[in-house]
Amino acid sequence: MRKQTAAPAIVDSVESLEAKIAQVKAAQEKFASYTQEQVDAIFKAAATAANTQRIPLAKMAVEETGMGVVEDKVIKNHYAAEYIYNAYKNTKTVGVIDKDDSFGIKKVAEPIGLVAAVIPTTNPTSTAIFKTLISLKTRNGIIISPHPRAKNCTIEAAKVVLEAAVKAGAPEGIIGWIDVPSLELTNTIMKEADIILATGGPGMVKSAYSSGKPALGVGAGNTPAIIDETADILVAVNSIIHSKTFDNGMICASEQSVIVDSKIYDKVKNEFKLRGCHFLNKKELDMVRKTIIINGALNAKIVGQKAAKIAELSGFEVPAETKILIGEVDSVELSEPFAHEKLSPVLAMYKSKSFEDAVQKAEHLIADGGYGHTASLYINQVTETDKMADYFERMKTCRILINTPSSQGGIGDLYNFKLAPSLTLGCGSWGGNSVSENVGVKHLLNVKTVAERRENMLWFRAPEKVYFKKGCLPVALDELGSVMGKKKAFIVTDSFLFNNGYTKPVTDKLDEMGIAYTTFSDVAPDPTLECAIEGTKVANSFQPDVIIAIGGGSAMDAAKIMWVMYEHPEADFMDMAMRFVDIRKRIYTFPKMGEKAYFVAVPTSAGTGSEVTPFAVITDGATGIKYPLADYELLPKMAIVDADMMMNAPKGLTSASGIDSLTHALEAYVAMLATPFTDGLAVEAGKLIFKYLPSCYENGANDPKAREEQAHASTLAGMAFANAFLGVCHSMAHKLGAFHHIPHGIANALMIEEVIRFNCSEAPAKMGTFSQYAYPQTKAKYAAYSDAMGFGGKNDDEKVENLIKEIAKLKEKIGIKRTIQEYGVDEKYFLDNLDAMTEQAFDDQCTGANPRYPLMEEIKAMYLKAYYGK
Amino acid sequence: MKLDKVIAVRKDKTIYRDGDVTIKVFNENYSKADILNEALNLARVEETGLNVPKIQEVGMVEGKWCIVTDYIEGKTLAKAYEDSPAMLDDYLKLFVEIQLDIHNKRCALLTKLKDKMRRKISLSGLDATTRYELSTRLDGMPKHIKLCHGDYTPTNVILKSDGTPYIIDWAHATQGNASADVARTYLRFNLKNDSDIAEKYLNLFCDMSDTPKQYVQQWMPIVAASQMAKGKPEEKDLLTHWASVCDYE
Repeated sequence: MRKQTAAPAIVDSVESLEAKIAQVKAAQEKFASYTQEQVDAIFKAAATAANTQRIPLAKMAVEETGMGVVEDKVIKNHYAAEYIYNAYKNTKTVGVIDKDDSFGIKKVAEPIGLVAAVIPTTNPTSTAIFKTLISLKTRNGIIISPHPRAKNCTIEAAKVVLEAAVKAGAPEGIIGWIDVPSLELTNTIMKEADIILATGGPGMVKSAYSSGKPALGVGAGNTPAIIDETADILVAVNSIIHSKTFDNGMICASEQSVIVDSKIYDKVKNEFKLRGCHFLNKKELDMVRKTIIINGALNAKIVGQKAAKIAELSGFEVPAETKILIGEVDSVELSEPFAHEKLSPVLAMYKSKSFEDAVQKAEHLIADGGYGHTASLYINQVTETDKMADYFERMKTCRILINTPSSQGGIGDLYNFKLAPSLTLGCGSWGGNSVSENVGVKHLLNVKTVAERRENMLWFRAPEKVYFKKGCLPVALDELGSVMGKKKAFIVTDSFLFNNGYTKPVTDKLDEMGIAYTTFSDVAPDPTLECAIEGTKVANSFQPDVIIAIGGGSAMDAAKIMWVMYEHPEADFMDMAMRFVDIRKRIYTFPKMGEKAYFVAVPTSAGTGSEVTPFAVITDGATGIKYPLADYELLPKMAIVDADMMMNAPKGLTSASGIDSLTHALEAYVAMLATPFTDGLAVEAGKLIFKYLPSCYENGANDPKAREEQAHASTLAGMAFANAFLGVCHSMAHKLGAFHHIPHGIANALMIEEVIRFNCSEAPAKMGTFSQYAYPQTKAKYAAYSDAMGFGGKNDDEKVENLIKEIAKLKEKIGIKRTIQEYGVDEKYFLDNLDAMTEQAFDDQCTGANPRYPLMEEIKAMYLKAYYGK
Repeated sequence: MKLDKVIAVRKDKTIYRDGDVTIKVFNENYSKADILNEALNLARVEETGLNVPKIQEVGMVEGKWCIVTDYIEGKTLAKAYEDSPAMLDDYLKLFVEIQLDIHNKRCALLTKLKDKMRRKISLSGLDATTRYELSTRLDGMPKHIKLCHGDYTPTNVILKSDGTPYIIDWAHATQGNASADVARTYLRFNLKNDSDIAEKYLNLFCDMSDTPKQYVQQWMPIVAASQMAKGKPEEKDLLTHWASVCDYE
């Protein structure tokens, strides 16, 4: 409980201020529990009361400060009440102010607490009305520190708002003030408050920022107004007069200098004269210079005075109704008093040689003393968009007003209805401020974000056409001619397949359909970038409208790269190879594929799945670095899975690619992005592989049924991992291949058992980060897979063990050795490279989808076990 | 100590020479604390290694407090350029060089300049509004810790016959922002109606120290207010004028 202190009758000391702070804080605690309806009723009542008192308050302000114009202060009070009410009457400031159920996000507004408000002499009542109203709307308490020169009227304005607010139900004492202002008390309230709304000069703003509390401070302005040769002179001159004379020039956004193109200078000057402005002669100019600025600082006596009074103070006379004293000067340096902010109806006028000259002068004037505030431009806004752009790009001000009187324009909602109405104008970091816009209710709220857990949208993507069945090749290819009307086919394959007639069934069909073709048959295993470039050259000269890749992973990957280079020679290869965390959030946008050529993939081995995946791996021949590319743009358009193309595959290839397809299924099944859509494919693939792969290996072409089922299994597994991705087994296999030239499928086979044990941990050092993956659950997933394979077991542990055993058996049946060592990898060489291999495996693209996030030490341990087999 | 050779007479003190020492004798009404503080200031500045008259003794003579220091034989910089006006520019340059040298020194235990200014503003006799403006302005000024003489004028620099300059009268020494010290010197020239020399001095200082002029100018209303605490009627108009400025809003 807060200590209850009696409210002080008058705040004139640190002690009484502390008591007042305690009172306002207690009131604010109550206020914090008010509803939006209660707050809105109070806001309305307070605004109405302030509005009603606009004339008495304006009179008091002018009488007490001896500055400004009653009628204009009436407008300011009216504005502070009505426009602020209107702008925020429907704004939600209590509780949930914004929500999006589908994204599970809520914004909850809370009051900040106690606002310290420093009120200037120039707008002593309107600023008080403004700051108290926005504090009420946001359920904040506020204590006002008035300026000694304007304390009575400022306090009166605060009283009006307070009384109306309390009458409408606000807690007693929700608004407080310092009765006898002093710097000590101002500094005390700034230190004790939760936020500071400081309006004042640089000294005050600095004090606010050094108080250690967040401050919305505003600073000096030195608004230049350029009148371009294309401007409407009548509008420009009269707008400036209207603005500069408003409250005798005391609005900080008001024009301090006007920069006029030499081509229209005389016309502008005549218009100013015609409307009652006085151009100073040389002698008067010097007299005014000496009067307005003392040692580089603004003479307090001229602030908010009429032109005639300033002339009198300077020692000469002008007619009483004179609107503005205009000094025609050349220098924009601070040594020229007219280049300063004058806060009075005194205006500098410059002649510019060109628009560029004018902008340079404006830049300089802003640097002199108006960084971050306001700049103004009069111009033909229809035809001169380039000049306008040049201007707003170069002005270091937070408001750039076009064809608008800057006093009234800068405070918003009068000459532009999207500029927020405010009497506190942020000047951004240029002005040492924390805000760069017009201050409003949002700056007095703490907005809490309530974010509910949501799961990522997932997808299933596959080639638009996947044709399969032993003997389907010619039927599928027929579509290229009969339906699509393709004219030129580019065939990509390797020399072995080419020399052994594997392309013949394809070319025969193409011949039959009258489709011209050319063949690139130089793809080697682990295809290189150089090879892809060679192939692309052929494609470029041939200009195919269909590309047919025939082969294993190497030929299909190389063809995919040629496809990209052929369609998008401008695309940067390194950009495409950039690693990513989430394929949907990747920095690089892959170019659109398929506009020049249709891509057909015809696999000749059952394992890679490349015919249905968005991946392609290519090696930089010069450095040996492998670049895995991944993007759904790389999905072939048509996959033709015909076991006839695989019938005579050698044993080694059958076993290596066959086991590769099993690791695809296993890794996709436990990957964090696995879905029921991919799980079904992974399970079906696994069943077929366990059942048919041994016979494929043993009997080859003699068991065409086994060949066909294994071919389908490979494509099923490919579609599973094309969407669920892989895991750390592939990460490690990639580097085993790169460092020790172990065939890819074999490398996976050597790691998979270790990886299953690793992923099974119920208390991993780190689990993967993916919204759907809520807790370590991979053991159960493997157990389910084992069940689906029918491997038996009483509990999850047994089931997983049986799965591992069956994998080991399968490997044995198809002639795969047990350890890395048995593949002839030298122990010393292996150990010497282990750290590098570990780090690269950790950084492999496949690691990200693994359900257990591996530490490098853990990867290293798996490598060692796989090397020695224990 | 013989008090027969008077060097100077001020409102509330008389300065004598006795052989190679100077004896500053204060009137009875002079604050004992101020006298001891002046002696302490001088002792502290001595430790910076600047050329200052060394303090020999603080004591009583004929029932009055006095401070005894080395006597520095020579003529003041003011006298020097009065005697040879053609050399004004050279002497002003020397004047600024010595001041920059002072500002390069640190004297951690001296009064803080901003504290002193704050006190003087409240004693200035200006109206509450102006005091508030000036206090706010002062509050926003950067806190520095440079040695500031506090009354650095050409009459407080003595050139020995060999040309070695000595800086005297450290009664107002503080640590703080050098620009305040410069603003004060500039004000002192103006109060003596030497406004041409004042401008020359200020431009020279800003040039030689690479300080923007407006940075020094920001201190002028503050030093003017602090000078008002002295309550000299002949200075009131100028000082009030200088102090009556407002911060931009």
